[in-house]
Amino acid sequence: MNTGPQPRVGCPPDDQATAAVVEVVEVRTRLAGRWIHDGVSFTIPRGQVVALIGGSGTGKTVLLRQLVGLDRPTAGTVRLFGVDLAAATPVQLNALRQRFGLLFQDGALFSNLTVAENVAAPIIERHRLPKPLLCEVVGLKLGLVGLSAEAAGKRPSELSGGMRKRAGLARALALEPELLFLDEPTAGLDPIGAREFDRMLRTLADSLGLTVLVVTHDLDTLYELPDRVIVLYEGRVIADGSVQEVARQPHEWLRSYFSTRK
Amino acid sequence: MQDVTATRHCRWDADQGRLCLQGHWTLAHLAAIDADLKALPLPVERPLTIDGSALVRLDSVAANRLLSHLQGLGVDPAGLAWIGFGARERELITLVAERRGACAAIPLPHHGLRRMLGWHVFELGRNTVSMLAFVGRVAAALGELVRRPTRLRLRELTVQLEMVGLRAIPLIIMMNWLIGVVFAYLLGIQVQKFGANVFVVDGVGLAITRELAPLITAVLVAGRSGAAFTAHLGAMRVNQEIDAIAVLGLSPWQVLVLPRLLALLVVLPLLTALGDVAGILGAALVADWHLGVTPTTFFERLQERLPLATALFGLSKAPVFALVIGLIACHNGMTVARDARSVGLATTATVVHSIVMVILIDAAFAVAYPEIK
Repeated sequence: MNTGPQPRVGCPPDDQATAAVVEVVEVRTRLAGRWIHDGVSFTIPRGQVVALIGGSGTGKTVLLRQLVGLDRPTAGTVRLFGVDLAAATPVQLNALRQRFGLLFQDGALFSNLTVAENVAAPIIERHRLPKPLLCEVVGLKLGLVGLSAEAAGKRPSELSGGMRKRAGLARALALEPELLFLDEPTAGLDPIGAREFDRMLRTLADSLGLTVLVVTHDLDTLYELPDRVIVLYEGRVIADGSVQEVARQPHEWLRSYFSTRK
Repeated sequence: MQDVTATRHCRWDADQGRLCLQGHWTLAHLAAIDADLKALPLPVERPLTIDGSALVRLDSVAANRLLSHLQGLGVDPAGLAWIGFGARERELITLVAERRGACAAIPLPHHGLRRMLGWHVFELGRNTVSMLAFVGRVAAALGELVRRPTRLRLRELTVQLEMVGLRAIPLIIMMNWLIGVVFAYLLGIQVQKFGANVFVVDGVGLAITRELAPLITAVLVAGRSGAAFTAHLGAMRVNQEIDAIAVLGLSPWQVLVLPRLLALLVVLPLLTALGDVAGILGAALVADWHLGVTPTTFFERLQERLPLATALFGLSKAPVFALVIGLIACHNGMTVARDARSVGLATTATVVHSIVMVILIDAAFAVAYPEIK
């Protein structure tokens, strides 16, 4: 009879619990004859909520795509949970993908499935669950992001933008990820909906113990959501710290960025 | 003595009223956790203590399963004592307890036979109504165009004439030529048995001009241009381009639908005539090579035996086919729902419906005018 605690197999060892979840080391990216990233480096420790900001065309979304393994940088290293994405085998990559979720800018929900089926899709692919349990899991995920049972039966085309984002978030959370990437989560939402979304993200991040990297343009999000802000400008990180610290920086772009908020 | 029931994920200590959770309480083990929980003889009436000190990991779905299981047993959640949980795990349980009710168990939709049948019947009804409305709108747009001919979008019409007509020519010629070759060859084998080789001309002339060329050409154009219309208009609708046209004060019917319909109306009879010629040339080739009917004999007999009325009858079907193909294709394109899946469904529907309609109409023509030889 097994009564004692089980050995911690397949689980991050304790010494890694405080180690970096995301490591970006000297990443350089050349796109269409231009250096988008010219030596970008930062690390994100477990449990931190980080916002990545920068003007349009500074390669925030490109960096995000590199972080989730959709694109590769021209030079430099990207590591998730200590695994170098460029050197990872397909099996390793597949295992990694169960440990992070991505919320695409427009949700990128599968248009031929209902919201509930969208959330169920990644679970069905990875785990064998009896139907009642699957329904319960889907219900919980939708409840976590604040969607009603009524929305669950609808197709993405029948939802408002805010609900699509929530449904996308529910799908990103489906496999119980430790790390969450968000691409402009509040873009296209009204200010009230955007603040609600920020607060919900903060609650989820705290309660589920998530590490979060959010790419954003939204100044209000910066004051609401992240522990730390990283600023990209002309291919480099020009500021890195709490929002108050970053707002105090004398850099010209940052001054004009923060001066848009009265 | 201790009264203890233990499974892989939990352990029930009846003496202390304590439920110990152990190991990995995660999504990957959810089915096992469920089975383990159900195997425990948990009492309803006693206050329970839940001990999380032996947990390796706890995630939201597993916490939810525990709460659901206790709820299913009728345990009062307020009477639970939680011990041995970390701060993070307590927070997780609180969040799950708060939010889990909002959307409880979601029934995933059933795709049963009855449901599918019903859906298709209603879809047919909806489609018919919206098609009728569409025909009306096109007629209104056409009426407006007749009153103000300057509204004609010449540029778009020219583009469509090229796309639908000019670029289809090689395909139409090749396919009709091939049908002519095959038909003359098979017919030739039959007439040869009676030593009436020259009669192949009668059969080929009638079949190609009256039936084969109009039908083959219309089917090819339905698959080629009909699908293109639906996919193009559908993608424009998904992209809100059609709304943009309307907002700019233009009529999508004038700008998009009418040029396509008119182009098809003009082009399909021309393509059919081309198909007639290609088919007969293919047949003449086989007649010469296989049956010993020289081209001179072939064309002299063709002129003698094939009345102009037969060829014109075949050509007169083309505008009707064109109208049906154009209306179905544009209607399906203009009415897609705004998602990727609908564009695919609408394009499939266009090809299937327009080909079915073309063949039905052809049959109607054949029955209605049997006297034309």
